[in-house]
Amino acid sequence: MTAMAKQVEDFLNTSAPFELLDYDQKHALVKHTELIYLTNENVNDVFKDKVSLFLIQSGQFSVKDSDAPTRHLSDGDYFGYTNIIEKSNFPLSITVDSPGLVYCFDALAIEPLLEIPVIRHFFDGLRNNALQNHAIADSNSMWLYKGLTDAIEKAPVSVDAQTPITVAAQLMTSQKVSSLLVTQEEKLIGIITDRDLRSRVVAASLDTHLPVSQIMTANPAQIMGNRTLFDALALMTEKNIHHLPVIDNQTQVPLGMVTASDIIRHQRGNVLFIIGELSKAENLYELTRLSWQLPHYFSAHAKKAGDYDIAGKILSQATDIMTRKLIGFFQQANGKAPMMFAWLVYGSQAREDQTMGSDQDNGLLLAERPSEAQSAYFSNMAQYVCNGLAKCGIKLCDGNIMASNPKLRLSLDEALEEAKQWVKAPTKDAIMHFNIFLDVRCAAGDISLFKHLQKRRAPLMQQNMFLAALARHSNEISVPLSMFQKFVYEKGRKQKDLIDLKTRAVALINNIARIYALADGVTLPNTLARLEALSERSQLSKRDATNLRDIWLFLNRLRWRHQLENKVTDNRVSISSLSSIEKHQLKAAFKAIERTNQAMVMKFSGGVS
Amino acid sequence: MIKEWIKACSQALSSKAKLKQCFSNFDVYKTSFTAVDLELTSLNPSKTQITSVGYVSGIGSRIDLSSCGYHVINTTADLGQSPVIHGLTLDVLQKGENLAQAIDALAPLFQQHVLIFHNARLDLTALNRAFKQCGAPKINVLYIDTLQLALYQLNKQHQVLPSNSATLSVCRQRLGLPAFYEHNALDDALATLQLFLAQLTELGITREATLDCLIHTGAVGRIQLGDS
Repeated sequence: MTAMAKQVEDFLNTSAPFELLDYDQKHALVKHTELIYLTNENVNDVFKDKVSLFLIQSGQFSVKDSDAPTRHLSDGDYFGYTNIIEKSNFPLSITVDSPGLVYCFDALAIEPLLEIPVIRHFFDGLRNNALQNHAIADSNSMWLYKGLTDAIEKAPVSVDAQTPITVAAQLMTSQKVSSLLVTQEEKLIGIITDRDLRSRVVAASLDTHLPVSQIMTANPAQIMGNRTLFDALALMTEKNIHHLPVIDNQTQVPLGMVTASDIIRHQRGNVLFIIGELSKAENLYELTRLSWQLPHYFSAHAKKAGDYDIAGKILSQATDIMTRKLIGFFQQANGKAPMMFAWLVYGSQAREDQTMGSDQDNGLLLAERPSEAQSAYFSNMAQYVCNGLAKCGIKLCDGNIMASNPKLRLSLDEALEEAKQWVKAPTKDAIMHFNIFLDVRCAAGDISLFKHLQKRRAPLMQQNMFLAALARHSNEISVPLSMFQKFVYEKGRKQKDLIDLKTRAVALINNIARIYALADGVTLPNTLARLEALSERSQLSKRDATNLRDIWLFLNRLRWRHQLENKVTDNRVSISSLSSIEKHQLKAAFKAIERTNQAMVMKFSGGVS
Repeated sequence: MIKEWIKACSQALSSKAKLKQCFSNFDVYKTSFTAVDLELTSLNPSKTQITSVGYVSGIGSRIDLSSCGYHVINTTADLGQSPVIHGLTLDVLQKGENLAQAIDALAPLFQQHVLIFHNARLDLTALNRAFKQCGAPKINVLYIDTLQLALYQLNKQHQVLPSNSATLSVCRQRLGLPAFYEHNALDDALATLQLFLAQLTELGITREATLDCLIHTGAVGRIQLGDS
């Protein structure tokens, strides 16, 4: 008789979905299980003979087990399921990054388990995720794509079909709900609403001691818990109903009810709603009140990776709107501007990758050199807008890169002259100073003025000497990895395992994208847009550009999640808080950034660094 | 009795060439291994008795979980403090099997497989006595001691070994193997086999190698069980 070691049972108990199996099922599974210590020596021999499902207990491996790209896997990760589910025979290709223990379940023992819906569902999910790994969902209205299980707040309020109408009505009153789920043996068989009580009981003078099954709507429209609010909204509109029961997709047990008012409540939390309201604000007070809801919105609604991808963009759009509103308020009180101007934003706001901790970086571009009176007008406007933004929660800039600083209110000619100086003498100090101005966007005012500046400035910045200086400067920051590929943590912090993802990694990608973009004459400020817009002539290969984009998104997700989960505004992410697979990916990301950065320095500085 | 054991042992070890010849017949990654662990009533080799035995087999680096075996022995010996360590109390042991039944299950494995122990000496002494007690036929076994393999590596790095640096769990930790449920004979056996496989990698044993490549570590041996 086979005995089951405690460590095997413990491991299965902590590995979804096998924790759902009872002891006998686990015992039967273990009889068809091998445990392999997978190393470079045996990796080519052990997988040949039979189809299996693999589960990593320790070690790190790069695995290609289907048409999906190679995945970097570590403890808790599965592979080989595609062959079993699709009954295919895709040859496994495995590289051992660090040897370790891998459970190897015979396909013959796994196939019967896939008859169990929960387990089937789990592996189907894995398979689909693997394929969608690279598809970045661009959800413009995240609230609509919120899962229903997240959206329903109350436990289901339900009664048995035999409950008298009076008792049901009392329950509805005490629970403050407008509808009830009617169940039989825990399965949903109908619903009753306020309206049913009115039209089918009171209006018909029905005996209220009759069971609710007499007045309920039998076989009501229903929706599975794994669908989204958007699906619910579509179904409710289609059927013209206000109450929609939500059912567990596995067990068919009711989970709760979505109502029309739930949807309205979620819509109010929608960022587009806030942005819409922002642009309707009529005075500074309203604008600040609405602005302060933004952090709340993000912490309440940004949950998925796709949400983090657009969060920076939303925040930048909101900041743009605030800026335009503030300029409008100022002009209402002080009259129209005495000449054409463009309100320029720099750094993260220009790149549209603001986070909650980003401070404001802005400046003014004027059509011509202002007279004293004109100068005073713009000085007042800049003061008003910068302070207004601060009141809206966008911090004042420590480095005084703000339009309120007279040095950042330049005429077109002065701005061109300044650019010539940068290109003429790109010293280390000078680059430190003007790097931020190279990511620039016009957020308000006259965009043609700004375009004019860009057009005249672009050829200057394509000069080799200038690009070489920028590339050398970028080379001075290194990724936080030691020679032995271990993480290097921030020094002098109380917590010992922090890495500032912004300065140590995201900034490097921004640098790389900026330099290739300048060389290519691309004037867009956004890092992802720059990578996308690079022409065929660009020296950055399409593959590297795509890779950098994925890494940038990954890092961005990590820092947004860090800020929202810990309610902080810094970018110092604790490495121990990451899952083992994220650590693995992060390391790979750092290595790729380092490689691309080195290549860039070689290309632009001719190897002199 | 211990003298005799040492004699048997030294006889086996005296002919190192013979040992080398024995082990050179085994391709490392094709050999059948069985890891064995005993829980004992005391650490005193002269009177310790087996309370439970666990074992698991594998071929090369593939451990076959269906081969896991575990026997609790209804020993009558004084348990001393041992229940505190392995949790086998008198009432559990009373429901156990006879020692002879367990030896019957083990003997065929012992003949065909290379045995893996963590601290072979103590367990082999107890097994030798058990074979004799049951009147089991004498058999020659080949064994590898993961404790000795660990000491071999540690001695390369340290002048003086840190205390507790060679326990099963510390050795595993050093090689990045996961934590496990200690002091159950089967779990310890499985943990030992995993440790052995990780040690092979640590030592850089290649797929073409034969087991005699481990002889220089002093961790391998050949011994007759049931010898009186």
